[in-house]
Amino acid sequence: MTGDVGVLASGGCHIFSGCGFPAPGLQDFNWKPFFTVGTFGFAKPMLLAIIAALVVIVFFWLAFRSPKLVPRGMQNIGEVAILGVRDQILRPSLGKKGDSYLPFLVSLFFFIYIMNVMELIPIFQFPVTSRIGFVWPLVFIVYFLYLYLGFKNQGAWGYLRNMIPPGVPAPIYIILVPVELLRFFVFQPFTLGVRLFGNMFAGHLLLTIFTIATWYLLTFSVGLIYSVGSFALAIFVFVLETLVTLLQAFIFTTLTATYIASSLEAAH
Amino acid sequence: MNGKGDGASTESSRKRAAAEGRAEGLNIGWTVFSYLLSGMAAYGAIGWLVGRAVHVSLLFPLGMLVGLGISIGFIIYRYGMHGVESRAPRKEMTGDR
Repeated sequence: MTGDVGVLASGGCHIFSGCGFPAPGLQDFNWKPFFTVGTFGFAKPMLLAIIAALVVIVFFWLAFRSPKLVPRGMQNIGEVAILGVRDQILRPSLGKKGDSYLPFLVSLFFFIYIMNVMELIPIFQFPVTSRIGFVWPLVFIVYFLYLYLGFKNQGAWGYLRNMIPPGVPAPIYIILVPVELLRFFVFQPFTLGVRLFGNMFAGHLLLTIFTIATWYLLTFSVGLIYSVGSFALAIFVFVLETLVTLLQAFIFTTLTATYIASSLEAAH
Repeated sequence: MNGKGDGASTESSRKRAAAEGRAEGLNIGWTVFSYLLSGMAAYGAIGWLVGRAVHVSLLFPLGMLVGLGISIGFIIYRYGMHGVESRAPRKEMTGDR
């Protein structure tokens, strides 16, 4: 890692020592590559994304490699995880007919959740989704599926026609076409990706700010009071982030389920 | 008639309705947000292009405002009165983060 945490880790950067506050910023999201191959650099976020994928694959493989009618051990946890996604995300949007999408939604939810929660795990301490380059591929996968299912089930013309609700007068159609096209092809995927990225980016930045400030203000002076306050806020943000990491994975997957539902049949 | 069974069934259907309301609330919330952005962007872009052609820079912000107005009007039409009539009532409708 570059920047502020490195400065602090090196030792005595405290208030009143002539060292300015090493404010966190974008530099804390840029990682020095472990190795490079040509112009490609393999950095920590990539390693964490691979670990997240492996965690999901290995966990569900271990849980269901020899499933029993009466679940025991990891199969219990696996079943709770799958039923949680089915009952809280899939069924409310897609109903029972959408159960064939359960493997996709379970994988998506847990992959995003593990990437998010890495922010809070010592050693990892970085949310992969705070790098937007890791979010766009997920958005593209979801959007590709969304469009493919829509065109397949409703036909290209029917799908595009269903974007605007029936009963709208013809002149209004013309006014709404640019708005609908831009919403559907640009802003809907944009908001899907940027919300996840923005929440994780902001959360990590807040955690870094309060953690650095705690160390920076830690002196036997008035700074000690602020240091304690900053530490309390760091704990508060940590607790908040445990919720946000789960919530963001939930929102992304729920919206994916509602998009699939609207592709399978006309929304109105 | 099993009162305990009926209670569990009611609780289950209440939870299902809450989950459905949450999913629909999320979808509507983010769709509305996308409409607001796309209305401003679409008509802002049209206003900018026309303004560039006729050398009136005011058409860009004007286009954005018109787009915002169109979006708000359509949101009210789709999710307001018309939407309430066309959708089945939900037991719970939650907001969004």
